[in-house]
Amino acid sequence: MLIEPETAEAVAAALKQASDARQSVAIRGASTKRDWGRNTAEADVTLGTRRLHRVLAHPHGDLTTTVEAGAPLGDVNRALAGHGQWLPLDPPFGDRATIGGILATNDSGPLRHRYGTPRDQVIGVRLATTDGTLAKAGGQVVKNVAGYDLSKLVCGSFGALAVIVSATFKLAPVWKASKTIVATPAGAEVLGRLVGAMMGSQLEPVAFEVRADAADYETRTMALLVRFASLPSVVDAQIDHARALLGASDTPVQVHEDDGERALWFQHGERLWTASGAIVRASWLPARIADVLAEIARAHPHGRLEMIGRAAVGTGLIRIDADPSTQAAVIERLRRSTTVGNVVLMRGPAELKSLVDVWGPSGDRQALLESVKRAFDPHGMLNAGRGPL
Amino acid sequence: MTSAFLGELRRILGAAAVLQEPLDLLTYECDGLLHLRGTPAAVVLPGSTAEVQAVVRLCARNGVPFVPRGHGTGLSGGAVPVSGSVVIALSRFNRVLDVDIPNQRATVQPGVTNLEITRAVAPFGYYYAPDPSSQQVCSIGGNVAENSGGAHCLKYGFTVHHVLEVEAVLPDGTIVHLGGPLADTPGPDLLGLVVCSEGTLAVVTSVTVRILRRPETVQTLLAAFDTIDAGGAVVSDLIGGGIIPAAVEMMDALAIRAVEAAVHPGFPPADTVLIVELDGPATEVRALFEIVEETCRARGATTVEVAQSDERRARIWRGRKAAFAAMGRVSPNYYVQDGVVPRTRLPEVLNRIRLLEARSGLRIGNVFHAGDGNLHPLICYDERVAGQADKAAEVAAEILSYCLDAGGSLTGEHGIGIDKACSMPKMFTDDDLALMQRVRAAFDPQGLCNPDKVFPTPRLCGEVPGPYRRHPVEQAGLAERF
Repeated sequence: MLIEPETAEAVAAALKQASDARQSVAIRGASTKRDWGRNTAEADVTLGTRRLHRVLAHPHGDLTTTVEAGAPLGDVNRALAGHGQWLPLDPPFGDRATIGGILATNDSGPLRHRYGTPRDQVIGVRLATTDGTLAKAGGQVVKNVAGYDLSKLVCGSFGALAVIVSATFKLAPVWKASKTIVATPAGAEVLGRLVGAMMGSQLEPVAFEVRADAADYETRTMALLVRFASLPSVVDAQIDHARALLGASDTPVQVHEDDGERALWFQHGERLWTASGAIVRASWLPARIADVLAEIARAHPHGRLEMIGRAAVGTGLIRIDADPSTQAAVIERLRRSTTVGNVVLMRGPAELKSLVDVWGPSGDRQALLESVKRAFDPHGMLNAGRGPL
Repeated sequence: MTSAFLGELRRILGAAAVLQEPLDLLTYECDGLLHLRGTPAAVVLPGSTAEVQAVVRLCARNGVPFVPRGHGTGLSGGAVPVSGSVVIALSRFNRVLDVDIPNQRATVQPGVTNLEITRAVAPFGYYYAPDPSSQQVCSIGGNVAENSGGAHCLKYGFTVHHVLEVEAVLPDGTIVHLGGPLADTPGPDLLGLVVCSEGTLAVVTSVTVRILRRPETVQTLLAAFDTIDAGGAVVSDLIGGGIIPAAVEMMDALAIRAVEAAVHPGFPPADTVLIVELDGPATEVRALFEIVEETCRARGATTVEVAQSDERRARIWRGRKAAFAAMGRVSPNYYVQDGVVPRTRLPEVLNRIRLLEARSGLRIGNVFHAGDGNLHPLICYDERVAGQADKAAEVAAEILSYCLDAGGSLTGEHGIGIDKACSMPKMFTDDDLALMQRVRAAFDPQGLCNPDKVFPTPRLCGEVPGPYRRHPVEQAGLAERF
């Protein structure tokens, strides 16, 4: 059964009704991440948020906004653009993905380098819980330490704690200009040195990406993408500085601007997700990037692996284009590695998800996670089994 | 507390690390908010995570409440012991465990001060960004509990944005690691919840923070205005125009007079001064600084001074950071309030405070983080005058109601603690608070970890909060308040 409430109150009422009847509930935004998480049986009730799509407030002088959870990020940012502001998030499918889904998965993209993940930008939240109540936490102001900040807690919860009905964010001014420099170093060792040099410099990019695939690893073509955004003159000065820094040791560099730059970032954001194969997320210590690239290449020497990551954060996505048993072997190998960690299967065929643990171990947090889940959802009916708790 | 329990504490920690003589306990009766006090049954000084775990386990088995404590500089009574409790003082946890420059992080014990982190990484050209005014003395463990900010949080965010991992002992004695050395620990953001939980969910025993590369350039400007509205308008113009400075601070005439008397920062004798600091790449700071200067002049600044040296900039900041302490120069007693309003509502709320000042007969100094709407009204009174202390408390409470009327918050950085627990229902509904309490119970079903903080209780809220009183050490001029 599909329910698509138009108000927060109706969401809470629907949750209570389902909970009282012990019906399982799945939450659905724009379905851009439908194939993420564990395999689950179809829920008794699907609660769609698409009718909760309003921008509730945009006090632009305060640089904040409050939006309903079902609003697509693209629509929100088009509304905010009228006052030269935006919510600086660029997760996959960022135009269609909803605010609620982005928060619940704490999903982000290259701009994470400068702006952090959704949990760094959310300042308040309104939640509907399975007992039918609506509760808020955080606030409408950028600085606030009153009470527990449950807006952080729901980030990464995969909808297993409560339904996010609306959220308040701090915003950023839209850039006046941006340019991107792409460096193609000869091999992982050179790339590693350049990452270290960039991190140790006083340059302040908004995005700093590393990109490689297994085939390229052999032929020694991999790339660093560094994006600067500010006033035009500032961007030019930073690009000049970055060119000198990245171009050392004869590494070829190329500067992209205007439409070419926009296309570059659009393709960069899409390329993994529009291609076939499983997609795995993994993290590493940023200074170990050369080892990470070598490890990924070794994980599947004869097949196609592609990696896109945040160089200075130390996290990325790996696409594994192979049959499920080979994909599973690559994932297990990455999990045994000491260079990468937090290896999570994001997208993959059902067969693969039956072969490997999608989320990996939760370490010494397991009992606490279960306890928190029970506090919100004592009957275990909300998005059960799909997410990490 | 039974003697068997005390004996067990001594067995775990050694006799020297267990305090129970009344004179020894005095130090631990209060934090930086001196009028709220409680006497613990004992104070323990563990030296390792295993010892904290053993103490917490013992408390959990015996149903004894415990109160984690850093350096006791908090301003909301968050570290005040409940009677019969064990204070777990983390002052011996004072080591920097690891500095990892290539990966831009440092791991420290919770008793390390905020400024010591910066000192440990400064030789490499790095710093730890959150900079509460008390940074010379406050502990990073306390910063984690309170989600401390500071003048520069406008651009750089709060403690929660800079902590990568904590090791913590849960109220049942389990050791957990929240967050992690690597990004994207799967699951709900337990780390983000524990930061800002005021020591009510766990005892943090190790903290890994992100450190930042020193910006290429820092520029600081001091502008004077005839009205507080003009200063406020500059702030709105800048932020509305897309400029997020590293810091924007404002002080009014009374606060200016106080800091001039105390630390002589060379502020002009004006109705309002505004401090704006920009940092980042030199070209960016240069370009944006011109806009800041123009905006100040366009809004009628009577003087605009750009700090020409590091020494001058340090003096300007000393003037700002000493503001609370300096109020002692202009008033025998004062009450510090901490409230937040949406930035655009600043002029309106400040006008209401001015009207309240006239009506109450008490002088109110204003020092605030204007960039993020965080007000610190300083309500001056003389406790020797009958009724003035109570009046000051009433005025402070009324200012808080103005903040909430404007859509703001009870606290921007000092925390709820005991001080504002009874005000929580003014900002949150019963349902809001009930959900938070459920989360607390998920961590601490027995309710032993730092009880009576954050949430209103009938016992607590029957009592009227009192005003600030100076510590005898302060009165003697031997120490000052940050």
